[in-house]
Amino acid sequence: MATHAPTHAHTDHGPGHHVEPKPLGYWWKRAFVATVVGVVLALGVTWFVRWAWGFHPLWNAGVYWTMIFIFAGIGFIIGIGCFDWWWDYLRGRRVGFEDHSMHGATSWKDYLRPNTDHKVIGIQYTVLTFIAFVIGGLYAEGVRAQLAQPGEQFVNGQTYNGLFSMHATIMIFGFVIPVFSGLANYVLPLMIGAKDMAFPRLNALSFWLLVVAVALLVFAPAFGVFTSGWTAYPPLALQGTTGTTMFEIAIQFAGASTIATALNFMVTIVTMRAPGMTVWRMPLLVWANATTSALVVFGTPFIAGSQIMSLTDRVMGTNFFNAANGGDVLMYQHVFWFYSHPAVYIMMLPGFGIVSEVIATFSRKPIFGYRAIAFSTVAIAILGFGVWAHHMFVSGMASWIRIPMMMTTVLIAVPTGIKIFSWLGTMWGGKIHLKTPMLFAMGFLVTFTIGGLSGIYLGTLTTDIATHSTYFIVAHIHYVFFGGSVMTIFAGTYYWFPKMTGRMYNETLGKWHFWLTFVGMNLTFFPMHWLGTQGMPRRVADYAPRFANVNLFISIASLLMVAGTIVFFYNMIYSWAKGAKAPWNPWRGRTLEWMVSSPPSLFNFDLTPQVVGGPYQYGIPGARHAVVFAGPELGGGELTETDKRLVLIVADQAVASPALIDDIRRRNAEGYWRFTYVVPSTVDDHRAAERRLQTALAVLSESGIDANGTVIDAPPMQVIDKVMREENVHEIILTTFPLGSSAWLDQDLVDRVRKATGIGVTHVTILPSEARATVASESVARVVIIANYGIDDVGLAALIQKRADEQPMSAIVLCPLSLEGPSTTPETDAVRAEASGRTATLIARLQEAGIQTRGEIIDGSVTDAIKVARTAHHANTVLLATRPGDRIEITEDITAAAGQMNLEQVTTNGQTSTPSGASEGR
Amino acid sequence: MTTENVTLGADLHGGGPADEQPRHMSQGTFAMLLFLGSEAMLFASFFTAYFMVRFNVANNVWPPIDPVTGKKYVLPVAVTGVNTLFLVSSSFTLWWGEHRLQKTGDRKSLERGLLVTIFLGLTFLVIQFNEYWHLGFSPRDQAFGSTFYSLTGLHGLHVIVGLTLLTICYVRSRRRHEFTAERATVLWASSLYWHFVDVVWVILFCLVYLL
Repeated sequence: MATHAPTHAHTDHGPGHHVEPKPLGYWWKRAFVATVVGVVLALGVTWFVRWAWGFHPLWNAGVYWTMIFIFAGIGFIIGIGCFDWWWDYLRGRRVGFEDHSMHGATSWKDYLRPNTDHKVIGIQYTVLTFIAFVIGGLYAEGVRAQLAQPGEQFVNGQTYNGLFSMHATIMIFGFVIPVFSGLANYVLPLMIGAKDMAFPRLNALSFWLLVVAVALLVFAPAFGVFTSGWTAYPPLALQGTTGTTMFEIAIQFAGASTIATALNFMVTIVTMRAPGMTVWRMPLLVWANATTSALVVFGTPFIAGSQIMSLTDRVMGTNFFNAANGGDVLMYQHVFWFYSHPAVYIMMLPGFGIVSEVIATFSRKPIFGYRAIAFSTVAIAILGFGVWAHHMFVSGMASWIRIPMMMTTVLIAVPTGIKIFSWLGTMWGGKIHLKTPMLFAMGFLVTFTIGGLSGIYLGTLTTDIATHSTYFIVAHIHYVFFGGSVMTIFAGTYYWFPKMTGRMYNETLGKWHFWLTFVGMNLTFFPMHWLGTQGMPRRVADYAPRFANVNLFISIASLLMVAGTIVFFYNMIYSWAKGAKAPWNPWRGRTLEWMVSSPPSLFNFDLTPQVVGGPYQYGIPGARHAVVFAGPELGGGELTETDKRLVLIVADQAVASPALIDDIRRRNAEGYWRFTYVVPSTVDDHRAAERRLQTALAVLSESGIDANGTVIDAPPMQVIDKVMREENVHEIILTTFPLGSSAWLDQDLVDRVRKATGIGVTHVTILPSEARATVASESVARVVIIANYGIDDVGLAALIQKRADEQPMSAIVLCPLSLEGPSTTPETDAVRAEASGRTATLIARLQEAGIQTRGEIIDGSVTDAIKVARTAHHANTVLLATRPGDRIEITEDITAAAGQMNLEQVTTNGQTSTPSGASEGR
Repeated sequence: MTTENVTLGADLHGGGPADEQPRHMSQGTFAMLLFLGSEAMLFASFFTAYFMVRFNVANNVWPPIDPVTGKKYVLPVAVTGVNTLFLVSSSFTLWWGEHRLQKTGDRKSLERGLLVTIFLGLTFLVIQFNEYWHLGFSPRDQAFGSTFYSLTGLHGLHVIVGLTLLTICYVRSRRRHEFTAERATVLWASSLYWHFVDVVWVILFCLVYLL
């Protein structure tokens, strides 16, 4: 079970902040007592009111049950502690508005009590709703078991009605709607750079309202089968039992829960975005949730109203839908669908948001048509309020409504199509990574498009009238709910699983889950189109024998989905407990939630992040979405991830060249890069390559650049191949000398690497003179060698190489010539040329050995050379090299000139050998 | 209500959270406005029921004829009209209290305003309750009774909730000396709710009693 990193950087304590946390048993005992008190109170109040009003009979089970469920539900929520803070507030107690006593989780127990941390609530929601998903799925398998053959198999018709009613109700109100709230609860505040939701206590209340709703739904069958379908049309619903009462009250609790969450999302999105996050820089999931929240806030009261009327009609004898007493039975459908059509977008738009995130991230491309997707989301929401009567084409409503509703319905296909094509456009030409979330997103595109197309059929009046009561509807709704919503839910669950739990799921099992679900889903629901057009009626326990084979096939195929779901739960539970630790950013996403640890710390961001660009600028060099800072406890500064994108640098002699290092510095400033050098070498110059690498790494680490490297004795292609197998390389920088002096270019290496690796290769050309130039860096010792005769002795070069092995160094060779008389005579020129040759020999030897070296001839004494070493080259050490027998006397002049520099005398062995000369650059 | 556009580079190193910057509307007030939108839709669903029953089924023979007595149902328009005045005036007393607080920081006036408002709201409730008692028809009498009681009853519940909110404000002001001209989100939100309840009543009175 995930726990969150310890908090820091929070000083705003309110009263109650340091109260010792109460044990879990305390809350649940209280909840139990309060529930019982609620039941007793309900009985008492109802009895009193009925007695006072003189109602007969005094005992009416339906009314008492209704009141019991309402009071018990509210009692439970009060008992579990959701109202504790508000209770203190309304009594006029001193309360802390920043009271965090219920915030965060350190053990699994903290997930079982009211918690104000949006991350905890997100997990609470997700777990609860997936439990509901299992229950709803079992009901579905009950339905398929019954339908496997014609005739009554296991249950009678009434029970069968209960099975599909419970299946739909639990799936819609217990799973699809709230699971999106759960996922968004977790990631939305992170995505906009907020520390929590706007109203954390309201957020906790939302969750526990949902707990009551789900409990009522799940236990409803125990109080009498609820048989009228999830739409609960009167007059059928008016014949219901106590189970129906529980359904109607559960809708009130679930509705209150979603409205509270939607308000919370809305206020959070509008007021708590990080600085710099304009509306056009919001991730599309945020857009989707803002729009959905508007739908929820303005739509949900209608289903609440419809269920209140239905409930009072049944248990209190009101006449809303009773035609005999002036009621209007069709009115229910109008009011119900005025919510429930927007509700299908409430169940789909957050999924669109998830898919936008997943497809952009795994296609490694900026999302195609960001604004088009955002606007089409809003357009769907607005149009969604104007299409409700297309559910009622066969209901006998006023016929003039039909054509306008048909037109608006078909019109909705336009913004939906814009989205589908935008996602396809995003994938087009992208570098698609087929991870499980991406598989689900791509599967969604296929199945949702099928569902959308059959939706257009059903939106047209004539087709709908023909197929309305058939399995064509069942096929359509499952292609949009399962092929649409549920696929996106799985995509989102896998996508954010590492962030939510801090662990990686098993990719292989994820792929098994996808293929089982995708194949099973299509085999199950696609034949239903055919059944529908052939006239098999929906919602009936029995059917004509000619449909027997297809139905048996469907029932068997549905088991594939069961298998997939088992794989899914095994994967989730096992990975949550034992999976590999997740890095901060396993998908290399750009949005803010990936810039903090997995799982994030208690208040997400220690300092407010700064948004500097759009969220989907994949593959755009230098583009960044946001900058996140660490708190003072962590040393401040920009927060970096542990999982940076890896750049492979392939270089030979230019490894430590200042030009290449400058290039790396520039690249590093763009974002989250880390660098690995590989130096292909031969056994002969292995040591030299090591020395160059040490120098380069020393310089880079001094600049705070995350770099490492190795020397591998192999040709470059083999070396690259080896590294690519071991590491997830994102880009290669290939450094060569210019064309003509580069052996690598002669071998056409750049193109071959491009072809072999398939990733981006940047070719950097370095002149040989630049390649061996000295580097200026604190961590690289600058050693000046002053010598004249003996400068080309082998012993001197060997001596310096030994030093270079101890510490990365740059060498500067100075050859002082104290010539007297006129400066340019044939004699002096000859002496100079000779000295120059000797110096060049040493420089070449050192460069061959992998030491960045330069040198010059100085007209002047040793003292002058020492002065040059100090002032021009900022040397740390000066080596005075003499042949055996010679000694330079250390005069006061020399020590004064040397200043802080180390002054050492070394003796060469006095043997010159023919210098091998600088090898041809590669 | 809008997020400030912070230019790149400003506030780079740990300025306060975004909500410390000046804003036209507090989070609580914004949430209350959204919630009132939701509440308006709840009333709209019951008004939908009312209008569909009245115009679709009853063909605007309204109030319909009581099948028991053979006469039309009667609604006490005059008494309820007076009651409407009580409720509407309560909005003004509340406004006065808030106005005093905002202009002069006078919490005493706010408390007086709240008390008078609560008193007027209670008066409204009592009169409405008395009306229920003497109407002579129940929610079970025709769809007319159902829609009438559901609309007025739903509104009555909202009055109770509004009174609770105002009482909380009064308690907070008295016991904790809260609310200043600058910082009084709970007060603004509660008063928004109360004004909403008033406006809904005026609409309801016009549509159900007068129309």
